[in-house]
Amino acid sequence: MSTTVSSLEPLFTLVAQSYETLETTFYKIPGSAVIARYVKSSHRDDPGRTLLEVILIIFAIRTLLQSRTKAEASGKHFIDFSEKEIDELVDEWTPEPLTKHLDEVERVDLDSVPLIVGPSGPKPKLANGKSVLNLASYNFSGLQGNQAIKERCVDILRRYGLGSCGPPGFYGTQDIQLQLEQDIADFLGTEGSILYSQAFSTIPSVIPAFCKRGDIIVADRGVNFAIQKGLQISRCTVRWYDHNDMQSLQHVLESVEKERIKKNWPLTRRFIVTEGIFDHDGAMSDLPKLVELKLKYKYRLILDESVSFGSVGRTGRGLTELYNVPASQVDMLIGSVANGLSATGGFCAGSHIVVKHQRINGTSFVFSAAMPPMMTVAASEGINILRETPSILTTLQENVRAVRTILDKVDCITIPSHPASAVIHINVRPASPPPAQLLSPTPQSPALPASPMSPLSPSSAKLSNPTSVFPRHPEHFDMEQEERFLQDIVDDALAQGVLITRAKRLRGQELIEARPSIRLAVSAAMSKKDCEKAANVIKASCVKVLGKRR
Amino acid sequence: MIPSGTRTRGLNISSYNYLGFAQTRGGCADAVEACINRYGVSACGTRLEGGSLDLHTQAEALVARFVGQEDSMLCSMGFATNSTVIPALVGKGSLVISDELNHASIRFGVRLSGANVRTYKHNNMKALENLLREVISQGQPKTHRPWKKILLIVEGLFSMEGTMANLPVIMELKKKYKFYLFIDEAHSIGALGPHGRGVADYFGINPRSIDILMGTFTKSFGAAGGYISGSRALVDRLRLSAHTGTYTESMSPPVVMQVIASMASIMGISPTLSSSAVTPRAEDTIDMEPFPGKAPMAILPSWMPLSPTMVDGSDGSMRLRRIAFNSRYLNRGLRKLGFITYGCDDSPVVPLLLFNPGKMAVFSRMMRTRQVPIIVVVVAYPATPLVTSRVRFCVSAAHTKEDIDMLLTACDELGDLLDLKQGQGDRWPLKEIIDRAVELVNAPGDA
Repeated sequence: MSTTVSSLEPLFTLVAQSYETLETTFYKIPGSAVIARYVKSSHRDDPGRTLLEVILIIFAIRTLLQSRTKAEASGKHFIDFSEKEIDELVDEWTPEPLTKHLDEVERVDLDSVPLIVGPSGPKPKLANGKSVLNLASYNFSGLQGNQAIKERCVDILRRYGLGSCGPPGFYGTQDIQLQLEQDIADFLGTEGSILYSQAFSTIPSVIPAFCKRGDIIVADRGVNFAIQKGLQISRCTVRWYDHNDMQSLQHVLESVEKERIKKNWPLTRRFIVTEGIFDHDGAMSDLPKLVELKLKYKYRLILDESVSFGSVGRTGRGLTELYNVPASQVDMLIGSVANGLSATGGFCAGSHIVVKHQRINGTSFVFSAAMPPMMTVAASEGINILRETPSILTTLQENVRAVRTILDKVDCITIPSHPASAVIHINVRPASPPPAQLLSPTPQSPALPASPMSPLSPSSAKLSNPTSVFPRHPEHFDMEQEERFLQDIVDDALAQGVLITRAKRLRGQELIEARPSIRLAVSAAMSKKDCEKAANVIKASCVKVLGKRR
Repeated sequence: MIPSGTRTRGLNISSYNYLGFAQTRGGCADAVEACINRYGVSACGTRLEGGSLDLHTQAEALVARFVGQEDSMLCSMGFATNSTVIPALVGKGSLVISDELNHASIRFGVRLSGANVRTYKHNNMKALENLLREVISQGQPKTHRPWKKILLIVEGLFSMEGTMANLPVIMELKKKYKFYLFIDEAHSIGALGPHGRGVADYFGINPRSIDILMGTFTKSFGAAGGYISGSRALVDRLRLSAHTGTYTESMSPPVVMQVIASMASIMGISPTLSSSAVTPRAEDTIDMEPFPGKAPMAILPSWMPLSPTMVDGSDGSMRLRRIAFNSRYLNRGLRKLGFITYGCDDSPVVPLLLFNPGKMAVFSRMMRTRQVPIIVVVVAYPATPLVTSRVRFCVSAAHTKEDIDMLLTACDELGDLLDLKQGQGDRWPLKEIIDRAVELVNAPGDA
């Protein structure tokens, strides 16, 4: 017994010594006496409190030491491996190839992309040296190649250079960019506008700038890919209404309100997101009705006019001009400078507040270089030309009518686009009625109203589920077969000297697969005679290709 | 932003104009003017829907040669190059490992892709290796299935730090851990390396051993947009599957021309033997010349006006020498004055640490209201941590030594006033720095 005590003695002295040194060093720290006094008296008054405080200190230290990023590793699914095991696992792991090689169909698809040699325009030259009539390129108002614009651009090149050399916030902003923003705002009649340097990147940036997690967005089921990406990034609660169906929209707006009351959601920002003329099929929104509904249910309206700006209305101001709705009624009006004014980039027009907010919150505005000054001048000049020559839009509408008059009579195709839309989509009309189990109760026409003036579709008697992007009565079509037919038509028309294109989509990435179509883009730069000629060629190709099946 | 209507000339030390190609005169501007007159300003549509011009294919072939890859694809916006291409590379079941300081466009693209993301401490190779070992051994969260693929995304030159990716170590790790490598060369392409070909050139690494090289034309080339380059199979896949080709407008012809002209300037042009190739495809250009080679005449547009300095490459090599000198001179000069700066000596991005956010506005305004105003960019939270507010200089080949001298003088004065000279190491007085500039720049080591 005594031997164990004696053997432990040096240990006791060590402990006592180290305690002493600790104590003396502690008292050397200035202010330490105050802490010691405080701890002593608090322990005397309430011993329980000392325990609580010790636990609190331990907890605080633990929280501080815990790495925020390591949460995953320390989770319950973490498996502890030895270094050797990790080495083995590393050796064993074989990654998939970075990308899949193109298969045969895709290779043909890529090789069939037309290559224009020299300038684009109504009659460009292709790689094989042939001149063709161009119904594929976006050049609604025919501003591409305009001599006045070219001269202005050269002038600006010689004064400003080409690049803007920085994001707008880091001295990339130049006076003429602000001038274009002002020009667009004046043209549309909004308080201000903001420029993005690519049309596609505009709306995926505008939507998340305003709509945050928990906010409510009511969107059309047929919105374009850019909007879909914007909705995805915003992380909002999205409710869907049937494509271009105002009755369905009203129903969804009501159901959201009911849901809010029932689930006691907080009041949040609410938005309706849709397009002016739809990129997927050329259908046109009923803007007055949209505005009426948004005011009635207290929503804000985000309207994508990427196709309609520069192609409809008396001078190309888009849907607001066509329906005579003040642009200030649309909270965020997005348009494409690239399509509408044949330059590059996109814009968002709205109130001063809307514009200012995006100057620090529009991701692709803040983090990307400003638009080259030359491009902004080309667009400003384009606006001037549109203002001064309303005949451009009259010609465009006449050309659209000329093409439609010929194509509307073709039996083997259907055209879902609005009669005034300069973008015309051509679908294959199914050869024979589809098998009974595939047949939807109301095929085709009511789901795709040709005109906003037409009575609202009766198909909404049975309503779709607003939380799902898929409609109750989806369209049925054989995608591969239709795309093959359409590509044959495109190839055949090209052989006859007319350049058209299928509407290209990323299959498998769009929320709802759009029906395969040929997309024509009519231009005011073409003469009516050429338009008729081109339309007749397309008609002949359609009949030839689609007549052959079965 | 309301213009005051007055004009003041100042020294711009904040634009990304590394090689000074943002010019209103000279060979590039002449070529662009010829292009406007010939092509107009728009290509009217997306690449896959009738917006493909011969200019685009020519530029793509040239870019591929410039960066030393098999093929490349253009995109009309720098931000969108990342945000529309990354979703085509990775998806569910893949892992993206990202440096914590990567640009917003990369994060945007990764978020769209639906892939898992893990970040590691900026440029910390030990942390990266530990992370790699962890993620490969653990596999996907919960299920522990092996990852389909792992993509490491780093920037060549980090725009807020002036630091470079540690490429030699990354390449070693890549061999061992079999991840794919994506380098965003937005700031480094053109500005770094003896031939201006970016980080791979700087470190002497074969660019083809890097899976994807991405970059922008906004900075060194004075144009707009970006490119993505890699093996032919990869780029062909991206042409079809990335959002770029299907949905975004193609690059406008004058901008493409600026890219072609400025790149040809840097590379120099080699006369070709056969002039038969009218519309060259990228195939013709591969393995003809070792990297970094000259631009063959055959892949340039035949009508492009060529100035003699562009053809012999003297214009480009002069610009490269100037930016190399300016970068080192400013970096080392500031450090000798006693300032704390981040990044390596050869970086044209020079962040000078102010620390106290309150000093930012003072610094910026005092620079701007000097007799010759100096335009600087100050950066603070949330772009940087709260305690490391900084001012960021971007030097250009277009700056003269006198410009840099002026900047150093201004910094010297303000540094005393705002108590910014907290750096260690030996200090030189301002006059000595200016007089012994060449000696300072030529001194060995990353001093």
